[in-house]
Formats: sequence, structure tokens, C-alpha cells
Amino acid sequence: MALGKVAVVATAQTELRPLWGEAQHIDLISAVVTSVFKGSGFSIDDVDFVIDSGSDVLDGRSISNCGFLGALGAHRKEEARVEADGIWALQYGVNKIRSGASSVGLIVAYSKPSESLVENYWASQVEPFYQRPVGFSQRAAAGIQAQRYLADRGCSERDLAELAARRWADAKAHANVQIGDVPDAEAILASGESALPLTELMMARPVDGAVAMLIVDESSARRAGNNPVFITGMGSGTDCHAYADRDPLKLASLEGAAAMAARAAGWSAQQADVVELSAHSVVGEMLAMDVLGLDEGKTAINRSGGALPADPIMATGLCRAAEAVRQLREPQLYGGGAPSRAVVHGAQGVGMQNNCVMTLEV
Amino acid sequence: MYSAPESMPLDMPTFHAEISLPYTLTPGGAAGTFLAEMKNRRIVGSRFANGEVVAPAQDFSASDGEPMASFVEVPQTGEITAFTRVDGTIIAFIKLDGCANEFPHRVLGDLDAVRIGQRVKAEWDDGVENSILAIKGFVIAEDAAVGTVSDLPEPEEAIGSLDYALALPYEHAYGPYYGRMFDEIKGFGRVMGVRTADGDDALLPPREIDDISHTPTGTWKTCADTGTIRGCSIINMEFIGQTKKPPYVYAEIVLDGASTRLIHLIEIDDVEFAKKNIGPGTRVRAIWTDGERKGSMADIERFEVIEE
Repeated sequence: MALGKVAVVATAQTELRPLWGEAQHIDLISAVVTSVFKGSGFSIDDVDFVIDSGSDVLDGRSISNCGFLGALGAHRKEEARVEADGIWALQYGVNKIRSGASSVGLIVAYSKPSESLVENYWASQVEPFYQRPVGFSQRAAAGIQAQRYLADRGCSERDLAELAARRWADAKAHANVQIGDVPDAEAILASGESALPLTELMMARPVDGAVAMLIVDESSARRAGNNPVFITGMGSGTDCHAYADRDPLKLASLEGAAAMAARAAGWSAQQADVVELSAHSVVGEMLAMDVLGLDEGKTAINRSGGALPADPIMATGLCRAAEAVRQLREPQLYGGGAPSRAVVHGAQGVGMQNNCVMTLEV
Repeated sequence: MYSAPESMPLDMPTFHAEISLPYTLTPGGAAGTFLAEMKNRRIVGSRFANGEVVAPAQDFSASDGEPMASFVEVPQTGEITAFTRVDGTIIAFIKLDGCANEFPHRVLGDLDAVRIGQRVKAEWDDGVENSILAIKGFVIAEDAAVGTVSDLPEPEEAIGSLDYALALPYEHAYGPYYGRMFDEIKGFGRVMGVRTADGDDALLPPREIDDISHTPTGTWKTCADTGTIRGCSIINMEFIGQTKKPPYVYAEIVLDGASTRLIHLIEIDDVEFAKKNIGPGTRVRAIWTDGERKGSMADIERFEVIEE
């Protein structure tokens, strides 16, 4: 029996801001879970299961989803928590529907890194005997990745700053992200050192926010209130935990994940019209583009700005998917054209250890 | 609020919390041996069946999962293969002589002297034991001779466990609903909830969306500070995280006028008395703290049984 097709029929996202000081997690979650049904053709009663992504460490409570079930619309429904970026929650949900077990799924990811010390969160991810004591963590991995990348590719810090500046400008123009003044390349170079050679504005900026996505099987998609966007390929992979043991100039797990998604879709990332990437730093984003063989002249990459201006840790990959859905459905907002294929990417772990890729089509 | 949280940036106070957990970490054979040998100023590596040496020691190969074959002592010299600087500390990957892998550690000294391929040697920190920081860092050693790996037939016994602590501070946002609830407690000493979508009883804590119907909740309502126990447990042992010395009763109380359970404590002198007289259905009243209210559930000091 062939596996069923799965479509995204609606998305909703709060504004992404450095600080949502006047809202709790449940307030942000309630906002997107309520909004996602508007005009979708579906209601909460249609939902068979809810899968949510968030981090107990960032939230400051264990099994934090238990406190959010009402806001999630999960009362007496099947609910599962994925303690990973939201794109893995989406992958789980798609597989539940493809298997025939369910028809309508609600995927939610949220983050409020402003409530905790993100450095502690990163430190909690590394090994405690050899790595944590010496101060090796997310930022150090990004710095080492960048230092090697620049040496290998012969590009300069200015090249990094120019790409980051484009991403901030795109986020301001297209995405629901709170941004004051858009930093130009000079400002990015002049921002404080984060992990040599990366400056603070070359790192993904943690932000608060929530995103929800409604996914359904093919027959339910016929009654969707808007164009369904089909998920036609998925792949994910994990590299070894010790960053020092990985190939420094590749993202091997992204390569594998992209190949897996391309096999299912029948086309690869180079043939996409729209690409939305997640990265922890500007160099992580450049590496991801290299691994996927992307050319910024040919493909619309991170028109939403991507993760550099707005990284709602644990929700970033699902935001990429929501942004790609919007670009496929409403190309007029992005300068027109008739895009039909998108690739979306989520990453997590120290130095982008884990990667997930999906192909979307309209 | 309903479809989107307030859009006006407000400077709101936050609720400070800290999760502080003690751990006893188990380093296992390889890391345990490496850490135990720090006091002897020896760097322990692992030799694998294919002849490869990895340092610091690992029980299993990171690349293929093979178990290690034997411990070795690796040289204290090597070279820098990559580096960065974070918060003023230079962190580099070091490849020790004779080893197949690289690992992160600190480089002491001036960034100008740091380059890929730079020879370095370990500098020890007297007085530090059982930690990789017994190696304070690596210092530039231009002319350091290339060392060789040697057998380590009788290493120190591996450290079984290490005490460790992790403290995570938080500044939680109250949000509009909890914010008003705590303001009402502080300002007026009353507990307010919001009505359910289709009834008069109040949800406590208040919230925007009714959990059951997933529709907007109703208007605000003051609940009584008396109520009925719907679930409870007599606590007579001590454990981490308690706010009160046992014995006491942990109780889930439905305040009069509310539809949900509030978790609070009932003070008791006598466990046997509590077993007989406190249970589901028991009527209780809130005992508020004397002094100034702070706007917290702790402004209700405890509940006590209403004698009928």
C-alpha cells in the first residue's frame, strides 16, 4: 500500500521578538492555535492529534507541555512532545498521517529564550567531562567552523557581514519579526566579538514566539480554505556528537537528509524555487547552501531572513516551513513569479549536528 | 488579546525562579580513568584495535563505535588545528602528538601567536584534580619535540562518580492573565479567575482559552478563599524542593466559585489526626500571611480545616 499524501493547509505565527515580556508561553501558544484555524476550513474538533516542540530547559519546568495542553487545544486528544526543533514535530506528524493512523494534525512550536540564559542552554548540550569545563559550546563551535570555512574558501569577514545584512533586510521586508534599524554590513562587522571571527550579528539572534501548522491527509485537503501545500519528501540525519570528530567543511548529516528528501520528491534542492534554511551562524548558513549546491542568483534563499535575524530556538525550523508555505501560496508578496517547489531545513545541536530537510510543492 | 498577544511593548516585572539541581555524574571507565590520572599529570588516551590512539580517553570510538582496547599515556605536546575566541578565552582544537583526533581546550597567551599548525604544550594547574582543568590550558611551544605515545599498563582506578551542580535562573513573564491574578492577590487579597466559556465557575489560574472547548474564556470573577479538598496526600518525608518541613498535607482544593483545583498546603501537627480527618470533601479556609502581601500564591500561608 502506498503511503498517503500530506498537505499543509494553514499556518499561523506570532511576531518574533527578542522579548515578549508581556506574554507567557501559553499566551503565545493560544494566539497561534486560535489563529491557525481561521479561514482554513477546519476547526479544533477536526484535529486528531497535537504534536508540540519546545525545550524544558528553556522553559524552566520539566514536561512543560503538560502545562500548555489547554492552550495547545490538546484537551483529551492524542498529544506528543518532541524535544527538538519543530520541523521534527512536523516530520512526526506527517508520518502519522501518511501511515493512515490519522487525518488531521496540529503541529505547534514555541520558544521564550528571553526567560532564561541561552548560554546555559547551549552549555547543557555539551559533554560535561571534557567539553563543558573548558568552555566549548555552541558559540565556540560556530567560531571554529567559521575560522576553518574562511581559511578554506578564501572569503572574508566582509563577505559574511554582507550576507547577514541581506538577511536582516529581508526579514524586515518580508517576515513577521520585530526589527528596529536594519544593520548594514558595517554595523555587523562593528558589533561585538561573539566567537572570533564571528561578531554578535553574525550569530542567529534568539527570539520569542510561537508557530502553528495544520496538516491533513489528501482527501481532507480537498476542503481546505486555501491552496494546500503538499509535503513530498522528508529526510533527517545526525552527525557524531563530538564536533571535533566531524568533517569541518561539510554538514554530513544535512547532505544525507537532503538526499533522502530528494529521493522521495524526485527533485533536489537545486531545482527548488524557494529555499528556507536554518543556521546558527552566517557561516552555518553558507555551509548549508554549499552542501545543497544552491546558488543565490537562481534560487530565492531565505526571503524571510532565515534564522540569523530571528531564531526562536526549537521553533526555527517550523517557522522556515511556515514561511515557505506563505511564499508558495502568496508569491505576489515576494515580487511575483509562480514558484511551485520549496525546500525547508531545520538544524539543531552543537555545530548543527542534526539536520532535517523537507520538500514542499503546490 | 484573543487572536494575538498585546502588541504594545510593555516593561513588565518578571517572576524570578531558579532550578538548581545537584547531580552525581558517572564518567565511566575511560573518562573516569582520564580524570583520575590528572593528579599524576598524565594525559590518558585510548588505543583502539586498529592501532588508532584517541585522547582524551574514550570508551568507544566516536567514528565507528568500536570499544577501546587499552589505555595509553599520550604526549603533552601537539598542535593547534583550529581556534576561536569566546568571551576573551581562546578555545582551540588540539591534536596531541601520536593521536588521531582533536579535542577542544583553552590556549593561554596572545591571540597573535596562535595559528593553525602552531606547536603547543600542556600547562598544568597545581591544586586541581579530577577535572580536565588540571590542564590549565595549552601554551605556545615553538620548539617542543614531537612526543610519542607510551603504554599505561597500570592506570589509576577510574573515578566512579563526580559531584556536579547545575543552576538555571529564569525570569518568567506573568502575561496578562496571571499578571492580573497576582495583582488582585497583592492589592486586594482576593483570588480571581475567569469564567469558563459556558458556565459561571471560574478557571484558576485564569487563562485566555478554555481548555475543554478551546474557545475564549468569560469574564473575571472573585472566588471565595474557602473551598473543598478534592485530592490530597499526607507528606511525612523530606525531599529536595520542599518549601515546608514535613509533616504537612499537599492538597488540591477547589475554591468556592471555582471549577479547577488549586494546589496548596495544610499544616498539621499529628499525622494520625490528619489521616482520620483530612481527605477529599474536607472543607478548608485560606490563612493569609500577616505582613505585606507580595502578589504570590505564598501570600496564602496555608489552608486550615474548617471545624464544623
